[in-house]
Amino acid sequence: MKANPIRAALESSDVVITVGSGGVGKTTVAAALALRAAMEGQGSLVCTIDPARRLANALGLQALGNAETEISTATFANAGLAPRAPMRAMMLDMKRTWDELIERRAPPDKREKILNNRFYQSLSSALAGSQEYVAMEKLWELRTQRDYPLIVLDTPPTAHALDFLDAPNRILDFLDNDASKWLLTPAMAAGKFGLKLFNLGGSYVAKTIARFTGTETLQQLADFMLNISGMNEGFRERAHQTRALLEAETTSFVLVTGPMPERLDEAIYFHTLLQQNKMKVAAIVVNRVHSSVADSLWEEVARLPASAQAKFDQTLKENDHLARQDARGIAKLREACGATPLVLVPRFELDVHDLNGLYETSHWLWGDRHLDVAAPGQ
Amino acid sequence: MLRSTPHHVNVTFAVVEELADKRLLVVTGKGGVGKSTVAAALAVQSAREGLRTLVCEVNAKERISQLLNRPEVGAEVTALDENLWAVNVRPQEAMREYALMMLKFESIYSAVFENRVVRYFLRFIPSLQELVLLGKILFHLREKRPDGRWRFDRIIIDAPATGHAITFLSVPQVIVDTVPPGAMSADATWMRDLLVDPKTTAVVLVSLPEELPVNETIELHAALTSRVKMRSALVVLNGFIPPRFGPADLPEGLSAGLKALAHNHSSRATLSDTCFTRLQQLGVPVVKVPRLFGDFGRQAIEQVAAQLGGPK
Repeated sequence: MKANPIRAALESSDVVITVGSGGVGKTTVAAALALRAAMEGQGSLVCTIDPARRLANALGLQALGNAETEISTATFANAGLAPRAPMRAMMLDMKRTWDELIERRAPPDKREKILNNRFYQSLSSALAGSQEYVAMEKLWELRTQRDYPLIVLDTPPTAHALDFLDAPNRILDFLDNDASKWLLTPAMAAGKFGLKLFNLGGSYVAKTIARFTGTETLQQLADFMLNISGMNEGFRERAHQTRALLEAETTSFVLVTGPMPERLDEAIYFHTLLQQNKMKVAAIVVNRVHSSVADSLWEEVARLPASAQAKFDQTLKENDHLARQDARGIAKLREACGATPLVLVPRFELDVHDLNGLYETSHWLWGDRHLDVAAPGQ
Repeated sequence: MLRSTPHHVNVTFAVVEELADKRLLVVTGKGGVGKSTVAAALAVQSAREGLRTLVCEVNAKERISQLLNRPEVGAEVTALDENLWAVNVRPQEAMREYALMMLKFESIYSAVFENRVVRYFLRFIPSLQELVLLGKILFHLREKRPDGRWRFDRIIIDAPATGHAITFLSVPQVIVDTVPPGAMSADATWMRDLLVDPKTTAVVLVSLPEELPVNETIELHAALTSRVKMRSALVVLNGFIPPRFGPADLPEGLSAGLKALAHNHSSRATLSDTCFTRLQQLGVPVVKVPRLFGDFGRQAIEQVAAQLGGPK
């Protein structure tokens, strides 16, 4: 059998991260990879963000929460599957992970103040990339404090690819920015809970901003900054560690995309970024590809009675159109992404939402089956 | 500042009846369901009916100009066609416009808002970015021409996808609830009142005939109703596959390949129908837009526009 890039990546990695834009089937691919690893004897955990309800049910994830749940032997038996190693699944709870982070890192006397601060409460929306940061944070915790042979991390759908790679840096930027230093340093040195901006009191700049946002808003932001400023060192250290984990030999990325043009541009851009950042892209999974129409079908349709012929002919033409469109996309992707192997998964009759569907998907990921792509044509 | 509430337009025309007298249409749905296509089609149809129409993308990779075979428009309101304008609203420009409206003087803007420290602060004021984006769009609703008529009779927002749409559209309420009284919260109140006014505003939900997008549409409808208090006026079921094969269309002796082809088509058609029925239970009119098998672009937009603008 030809060496399959995904199989090789799973065998040589302990962390696999699926990345890509929303709506391309990233969660399905992540779950299928974890399932296949378990089937092959590599115990796995799939950490997902927001799975479709039926997929969540199939994985035994009924409620939100950071609990890792083992999929029972009975559930597998119902699907006619018998994995050789345990498979676990969890749904990442953003808010709880943030709270845990603060509880772990913040000095005891600051915890409540931070957790109750309005800025903290809206941090997830105020800070681009904070979801991504939390996912990284959780990955680090799972990697260092648990003992899973394989962790598959399904990342949040990113509007902007950079948010994901940049997440740890952005948090640092927030805490460690020149501007924040300028504002905070004198107050901290004096050991007072004050802020230079307010020490400036009636300054022109302060007054103008206050006119814009209201004075209390600034006060609250200042309090928040002061309370979390003691945590800088911890955040900085973790940001470096996370970065090292992403670049590690035993971490692989799987980029998931659909074959349609607007998705491909994003995938190509993302691929370039990952490579520039020294992240190892094991494969690009092109999901939901329309397979080509066999010549024999055209010939058969030509011989059908006229009444049936028109409908079959139209259906074949539609499928052929979609297959060629996808083939053009795949050719473009192949050209743009050089040496990174492509793995094609066909569009199934219905969407994948159970263990059997995941296992079926894994056959294509694992190289048990191969898809014929149409000639791109015009 | 942006205070008074605009009157609704007194024009009836053929775009789906539910939307006929609304000045603000907010188009949203799961990513990849064809939101931009539907927004562009509604805009084309609106303009064709004689309404001066502005279609707004929100800090997105610009698609609408491309769908209509026009050069990129960027952050300036740009004419695309007779009665049709487009803009891609971006935070930096919107912030500048917003601040200028408040401060009146360019020099003050430069001195204050281009200050490094101030920029840093503004970045972390929760929801300020969304507020200025929304503020700029809604501001265009009350602009008038010298003769006193509206600059734009109708504005169509190609809003962010589901999760972000809720965040985006709840921003005025969040600010009213959390930010102490001031210019910012007064503007937020005005925006909130405009968004929840069913005489002015209608939400158009776009969905696809597949399980996940339909689930998301149902959840989005519920969240908009309960959390944002906005009313969905129309669901567009994009990519609908009508039934094609009946028992009589399957002659004896078909190969497995053709049987599978027909079976596959029928499954998709059945799923389309199931999705249509599920969406109808929302109690909001559902319009089917058949799946198109051409390339995307102006032609596709015209076809969708024809579907949406059909006879009442």
